[in-house]
Formats: sequence, C-alpha cells, structure tokens
Amino acid sequence: MSDDTRPDTDPIETTPSRRRVLTLGAVGAAAVVSIRPALAQTAGSVLNCDIPVPDAGRAGSFIDAQGKIVPSGTKGAFAGASRPFKGEEVRRVLNSGGQLPGTDSERSRAYVNYIRRLQRGQGGFTCFASLQMPRG
Amino acid sequence: MDDAAPGPIYRADPPGGLVLAPLDAFTAVYHRRSGMTHLLTEPAPQILAILGEAGLSLGALLDRLADDYDLADATASALAARLDELVAAGLVATS
Amino acid sequence: MRHAFALRIGPIGFRIGSDWRAPIDQLRSLYRDYPAPQDGVADYTVRLFARRPWRRWLRPSVEIGGDYMLPEAAPLPLRHGLLAAEMAMNLQMALGARRHLLLHASAVERDGRAVLMTGVSGAGKSTLATLLAARGWRFMGDEFALLDSATGLLHAFPRLISLKNAAIPAAEAAWPDARMGPLMAATPKGDIRHMVPDARAIAAMDRPATPALLLFPRYGDAAAVRQVPPAEAFVRMTQASTNYVALGEPGFTAMTRLIADVPAVAIDYPDGASGVAQVEALCAAL
Repeated sequence: MSDDTRPDTDPIETTPSRRRVLTLGAVGAAAVVSIRPALAQTAGSVLNCDIPVPDAGRAGSFIDAQGKIVPSGTKGAFAGASRPFKGEEVRRVLNSGGQLPGTDSERSRAYVNYIRRLQRGQGGFTCFASLQMPRG
Repeated sequence: MDDAAPGPIYRADPPGGLVLAPLDAFTAVYHRRSGMTHLLTEPAPQILAILGEAGLSLGALLDRLADDYDLADATASALAARLDELVAAGLVATS
Repeated sequence: MRHAFALRIGPIGFRIGSDWRAPIDQLRSLYRDYPAPQDGVADYTVRLFARRPWRRWLRPSVEIGGDYMLPEAAPLPLRHGLLAAEMAMNLQMALGARRHLLLHASAVERDGRAVLMTGVSGAGKSTLATLLAARGWRFMGDEFALLDSATGLLHAFPRLISLKNAAIPAAEAAWPDARMGPLMAATPKGDIRHMVPDARAIAAMDRPATPALLLFPRYGDAAAVRQVPPAEAFVRMTQASTNYVALGEPGFTAMTRLIADVPAVAIDYPDGASGVAQVEALCAAL
C-alpha cells in the first residue's frame, strides 16, 4: 500500500493485522436476512383448514389474474371458488404445481395469486401462513 | 455535531442490545428490543459495532470503516445500501 | 365435557374432554401404557366438541378446541375423531410450548445420543424414525422433539405414530406385533392409521438424550449426502420450530447452541433401506 496518490493522512500503521479487508458488497447484494418463521409451523400435520377464495367478507367479488379483488363481472377476471380449498390442496399446488381442484390453469393461477396475497385478518390467512414450510 | 452534517445520523443499540452468535460466514443476531432474529454477513456486524458506540453520518461511518479496515470496494452508495437494509431490519435507527 | 381422559407423553400432560365417547375410548385403549400427568395436573386441555348441540348426533362433526384455538380449523366427522384428538394435541403443543424449544422433527436415540430428522411432510422423517427403531434405536418421537433451552438436552415425545397412505402397509409389515388404531380412510390427509410406539420407547420416555446429528432427509431421489452449513441449518431449524419466536432470547440461545454443537447433513434417499443405511453410516463417522 505504498503507491497510492492519496494525501498523506493515513493513520500510522502500528497494528497492521487490524486492517483486514472488509468488503461492503454491491448495491444490489444483501447482508441482512431476517428470520420470519411462519405461523403454526407444524403446517398440514396440525391443521385441517379452509381457504375461501375470496374470503367470506368479499363473497361475490371477482379475482383478477394477479389475484386482486375486483368488482363482480369485471372482464377477464374470475368468479370466486364455489367451495373453500383445503390447506392440503393449496400446499400441493404451491409445492408441486398443477391446478387447484375444479379449475383450469388460468383460473387456478389467479386463485393462487389471491391466496399468496392474503394478509393477517383476512379469512384464510392463518391457514395459508401455516402452509409455509420450506422446500425439503 | 458542530459540523452542519448533511444527511441522517445512523445509530444502533448500545452494547448489550444484541446477542451475537457467529455461524460460519454468517453471524446470527438476536435483537433484544424487537425480539427478532437476523442473520448478518460482513460488513453488517462491523457496521453495527461501530454504530453501537455513537451515531454517525454516512460519511463519518465510511471514514471510520476506512480507519479500521482495508476497504476494498468502498463506495458511499454500497455503504448506503447496507445501512438501508439495517434500517429496514430495525437494527439501525436514523435521526 | 361428559367424557374425559388424561395422560402424559414425555414431559407434557394432556387432559382431553369430548362430547362423544368413541374417541376417548380409542385414546384410552391406545395410550393404556402411558403414565398420568405429573401430579395429576395437565399442561394442556383439549376439547372435542359439537358446534351445536344437535350436531352430536346429526352428521356428528368434531370441532377442535382447547387452551389454544385456531379459528379456521375445519371440523372432522366423528369416525375421524381420533385424528381430531391428535391434531388438537399437536395444536396445543405448537402454540403453547414454553418450557422447551419445540422442533418439528422425529428423533431416535442410541447410547444417549440422538438423531433429529426434520423436513416437509412426506420427506420421510416419521418413516425413517420407525425403521431405525426397528433396528434397535430407541424411538423418541415421530413429529415433535423438545429441546430444553437450559440444558440443551433433547426430551422424547413418543405420541402415537401417525402413518399415512403407503407407510401404513410398510409399518404393518415391519412391525407385525405392534398395536394399531383403526384405519381412518380418506381423511383430509389421506388414509391414516396410528401405531403405538414399542414398549421400550414408552418406558424410556423420561430419559433425555444429547443431540448428535441434525438430518434433513428427502425421499425419492438417488442416494446423496451433503453437509449443511451452520447458517443454512439455523434457518431450516427456525422454520422447523413452532415456538422459536415466542421463546425470545432463550430460544435464540438454545437454537444457536444446537447449531454450534451438532453437525447438520442433508440426504436424498430412494427407499427406506437406503435411508437407514445412510443414517447408520453417518452416525458411525461421528
């Protein structure tokens, strides 16, 4: 470190071993991972639970392809599911693909997007959160 | 604090606010105040150690890191990205 | 609750009340060799109840409740009442456990040292544990293992083993003398049959063990072994714990000590015999 052209303001190196290399990383990198275990982590072993699409408070609304709730009759959106899905059914689709029972691939994708967007307080959220086991 | 320091001051919890457990390249951290657990890689633990002593602006922190370490790719924007992550995780507060 | 039964599984005492007699009779029979709760006091109460009085008789439908409730749990028909009781007990443990760090893992023990196996449903942790128990390992549990945050020791929780689908005939073949509960066909989780753990497992339930290996098995691929680095093992195990967050700092201390002290390995295995052989080989090398 002798050829640099910076002004001679570097501190005197009395303990050179302290100045080990520290990388700050790239702007897009990540140095912090927060642990967020899901609710009731024992998942399908514990709960036999239902996820209605949409939840009971919005019965009659339609679901668009991104899984958002839209007014009934919206073009290109899908009517809600005729029966709630079981946690096991949703988990199977999330982990292995395929369609939710009674749906074609587009409708299934819209429903799955809706389920993925569920927030605490919405019907089905607890059930969905309990499915969040990592892939083996 | 006598300079008109532009930009926020970053500070972390004082010593004792974190429980640290090194695991390979990651350090597991328990944040007592929030009850949350995080996994940190370099330079996050080093940043937290410095900001736990006193609040610093971005520039002052960069200078301090340069004093203590050989900063290979030191850019203020990289450091700012690290600080944003720590703020988002609740480990660093800004004022 | 007109019908009730109390028991202890490892360090945890339960009192189960029911609006119907049948599930209680089944529990009492299958758990007949288990002790009563410590000092007669249960840690958790479980209730199997009818939402409306007439649902006790008309298409009887068992709702699950207890000290801890989850609002969206769907009811089960009475013929699956035993499954409802087990799920309710699991739920109490999952939401309420505070004395121990609760790990969603099976465990077996030999010479005082325990192998913990964890993974998603279907990964085979339960099957591997029962196969290893058939080969002389002491069975500690198929679903939950309890880590004492003060001592770092693992405590057994040898509840009834929950066999699903193809695991049922496999276990019947491996354990022809085992006591089994009724076959419950077409439950929401497939066909289920409960198997009572062997007498040795029940007799030893109060003897803790030192964790020696964390295993992440995955069933269905060609045999493979991979060391799991500590940070990855830490994340996986926090995902596999229902009460890590609720325990706070003691949970952090217990988990980091476990990860620091115990090696973690992931295996792929194509069949039970191969999985067992891989576990034996890993333990021999420890």
